[in-house]
Amino acid sequence: MPGVSFDEVTKTFSGETVAVDRLSLEIADGEFMILVGPSGCGKTTGLRMVAGLEKPTSGVIRIGERVVNEVSARDRDIAMVFQNYALYPHMSVYKNLAFSLKQKRTPKQDIDRRVREVAAMLGLEPLLKRRPAQLSGGQRQRVAMGRALVREPKVFLLDEPLSNLDAKLRVQMRAELKRLHARLGVTTIYVTHDQVEAMTLGDRIAVMSDGKLQQLGTPQEVYDTPANVFVAGFIGSPPMNLLRGSVRSGRVTAGDFVLQRADVPDGELIVGLRPEALRPAMNGLPSIEFRVDVVEPLGDEVIVHGSVAAELATVSEEVEDAALPGANGLRTEAVARLSPRDRPAEGSTIRLGVEPAEVYLFDAGTGAAIR
Amino acid sequence: MTALAEDTRAVGLERPPLWRRVLGSDQLAGWAFVTPAVILIAVFAVIPIGWAALLSFQANNLLAPAHYIGFANYQALAKDPAFRSAVVHTVIYTALFVPISIGGALGLAVALNRKIRGIRFYRLAVFVPVVTSTVATGIIFLWLLDPTFGIVNYFLHAVGLPQQKFLQDPNQALYCIVGVTVWEWLGFDVIIYLAALQGIPQDLMEAAEIDGASRWSTFRSVVLPLLGPATLFLVVWSTINALQLFDEVYVMTRGGPIGSTTAIVFYLYQQAFSNFSAGYGAAIAVVLFLAILVVTLVQLWIGRRRVYYAS
Amino acid sequence: MATGQTAQAEPLFRLTVPPEKPRRRLPFSPWHLFLMPVAAVMLVPLLWMVIVSLETASQAQRFPPVLFPHSFHVQSYVDAWNAAPFAHYFLNSAIYSLSTVAGQLLFCSLAAYAFARIRFFGREVLFVVLLATLMVPFQVLLIPTFLIVKKLGMVDSVGGLIVPNLCSAFGIFLLRQFFRTLPIELEEAARIDGASRLAILFKIVLPLSLPALATLGIIQFLWSWNDFLWPLVIINTDTHAPIQLGLSTLQGGHFMEWNVLMAGTVMSQIPILLAFFFAQRWFIQSLAYTGIKQ
Repeated sequence: MPGVSFDEVTKTFSGETVAVDRLSLEIADGEFMILVGPSGCGKTTGLRMVAGLEKPTSGVIRIGERVVNEVSARDRDIAMVFQNYALYPHMSVYKNLAFSLKQKRTPKQDIDRRVREVAAMLGLEPLLKRRPAQLSGGQRQRVAMGRALVREPKVFLLDEPLSNLDAKLRVQMRAELKRLHARLGVTTIYVTHDQVEAMTLGDRIAVMSDGKLQQLGTPQEVYDTPANVFVAGFIGSPPMNLLRGSVRSGRVTAGDFVLQRADVPDGELIVGLRPEALRPAMNGLPSIEFRVDVVEPLGDEVIVHGSVAAELATVSEEVEDAALPGANGLRTEAVARLSPRDRPAEGSTIRLGVEPAEVYLFDAGTGAAIR
Repeated sequence: MTALAEDTRAVGLERPPLWRRVLGSDQLAGWAFVTPAVILIAVFAVIPIGWAALLSFQANNLLAPAHYIGFANYQALAKDPAFRSAVVHTVIYTALFVPISIGGALGLAVALNRKIRGIRFYRLAVFVPVVTSTVATGIIFLWLLDPTFGIVNYFLHAVGLPQQKFLQDPNQALYCIVGVTVWEWLGFDVIIYLAALQGIPQDLMEAAEIDGASRWSTFRSVVLPLLGPATLFLVVWSTINALQLFDEVYVMTRGGPIGSTTAIVFYLYQQAFSNFSAGYGAAIAVVLFLAILVVTLVQLWIGRRRVYYAS
Repeated sequence: MATGQTAQAEPLFRLTVPPEKPRRRLPFSPWHLFLMPVAAVMLVPLLWMVIVSLETASQAQRFPPVLFPHSFHVQSYVDAWNAAPFAHYFLNSAIYSLSTVAGQLLFCSLAAYAFARIRFFGREVLFVVLLATLMVPFQVLLIPTFLIVKKLGMVDSVGGLIVPNLCSAFGIFLLRQFFRTLPIELEEAARIDGASRLAILFKIVLPLSLPALATLGIIQFLWSWNDFLWPLVIINTDTHAPIQLGLSTLQGGHFMEWNVLMAGTVMSQIPILLAFFFAQRWFIQSLAYTGIKQ
């Protein structure tokens, strides 16, 4: 089972739009790799280049040791699940599953055996004679998976495969995908804009923005140590609160929030506070004043929406869109996740504290994390 | 690019075999797919266009080698009274055929666009002439309009009107051809209009009704403007069709009596294939084409200013 | 007194709706009064054709005409069949229609797919040239097309009828427009599944394009079955003529009894009328879709 590698891969459309910008990425043999990012970040283009549906403008893509830039899609021995499944509407489920094998002129009995194996694995046996139009969304999704699995591909590509399912099915299919991958061990590249899918499914995740790779790591690494302000704002739900701050001789301030960090040189920076790191202030912890607007009880926790007396941090537009809606002037919207025991009253003003180790600092100019 | 090439060599791994890359490439597939069509269209459309223009500057009798005679064909054409009367006939024919067939079809389509008993039968009756061939139509009407035995004269006689000579009367023949071709093409225009009428969203009509519009004013201010694109299409298409009148003339009158139904294409056919003046015929074709082009462009130009397109 | 009484009789607001005056209504929709005569005008010529074809020569040549003959007389069909090589006409027409339908479907599909989906050098230029040829009517090209077919040595043959009609810019354009509405993902999925361009066209695109293919096929069938001018120009031998030309020869030649001519005319229309009655919806949709009959 081969891996996949991108070596300085760039893709430009019609000479100007840069969809993927010098992407270098090694995907190990058998790994479940997630490409995640907001729409237009280049993740799908990246996937389509592996599939052979787009040609890289420059750079090298390898599947295993083989350079595939010039290899057509049909010769790459990969399989792909499309966002809207792309099932052949005029063929039965059986024929959909058998199509790729037929193209390879596989003997009839072998086709039949493979199709039935895969159908059994995915619970599709009773549906084999139906047309795609006669299937539910979840069933179509399974057929699309089955069509990819049937051919025992070297690499398995999935382009937002769960985005057309309802929430309950999505959770179910997520678990099923994970089981399948564990069982088959095929190198898998999975594109999503949903960071929950990214966190739960991936062995590693590659966070992309503006065609560039922002960070590569295990879900935990990316969550614990975001490489920059974009990743910090994108991974985690609700997103990290990002505030404009500054350092003067080891003293970090953002609004009324104060933190001692002797190792940081003087200057402007961005302070990041995860909603789940915030808790009612205790003595000695750095803390911030929080005006509560709306409280959403979720049973095991409460999501508290409100504002803090600090300036909105802006590095790039994505951050603004993804993390900080509706910030204005000197007050910035903020979110906290608290235990139901600490549920504040709507309209009240409370102080929320945070462990110094859980405060993220980013360079105000580049957005890179300060460790 | 050099980096890529070096890299490929360095890894020493196969690019797919050359034949596979060439055969699998989009360049080859694209050209392979269009080649039969390109050859056929080049030979039977592109070359004839150029050749038609060339021929019109030649004396060509379809047999002996042609020779170049400049604008002589066009000069002769300008002075040819037979050509002038062919043009007049064609213009009269077109000026009658286009409004009558389109106006009639509009009224008929509105009448047919409702659910009443027998509507399928009525529609069928209107559509059948569309599939009937022009030759068969010509023969049928030749007999219907026969001055001596024709059923039309019988009906006129039955209601006390004087009998007519129809296609044998130089003053009536062209108008008879208008009538016959309207009968023949009406169903086609109705199909287009019915499709357009059925494309009008029901809620628009309901909105107009709620706004207090009467049926007539709904028709005028909602339905008619939405039929604009269909009407423009029919006007352009019927005009082109009318300017090329041939089959019915050939079958019913052969251009007569005394040349009263000779239309442009019929004259072209006579010149090229009866008199063997292919060069002269080609000059007629070129003039016809330019006329069609100009008329079409003018219609589209007017249409673009007056027709409202929903999307 | 009197005023008080009127005030009582005429309250300011009526609380109940006055009973509607019974409207005089026809027992049927008034549209029938318009549609019935129209249907008669459209159908009577065709019915009359059939009636005359079933009369004797003397019945046909009578004034006032015999509108309802007491007995049907099929001899005119036998006479018509013997008067001209009808078997040849039908065979020639069938060959002409079916091979041009097949040619159009094949060649237009191939080209239309390439224009719709494959990027290749020169595509845009070719397409513009194609569109330009769409503007020039066949009548204008009659003479040079005749000369080309003559150069190919195909004058006076069914082959000569067929070759110029094997492919058309119209067909390419129609199919291309349709192909472009199909979801591209299906074709991408097929590429990944290992299908060649040809396999994608034949196994994915064409099966999903049946409405457009039917439209092109029906239009071409109608057009070639009813075609007259082109056969008139290139066919000289009676046994090489397709049906419409044969019919016209029958009519224009030596004196012919009207009942026999009508029998011939009925025969010439039977295949297309049968096709029309059995596939009415398809015919009408096709014509509505394109608006082409020549």
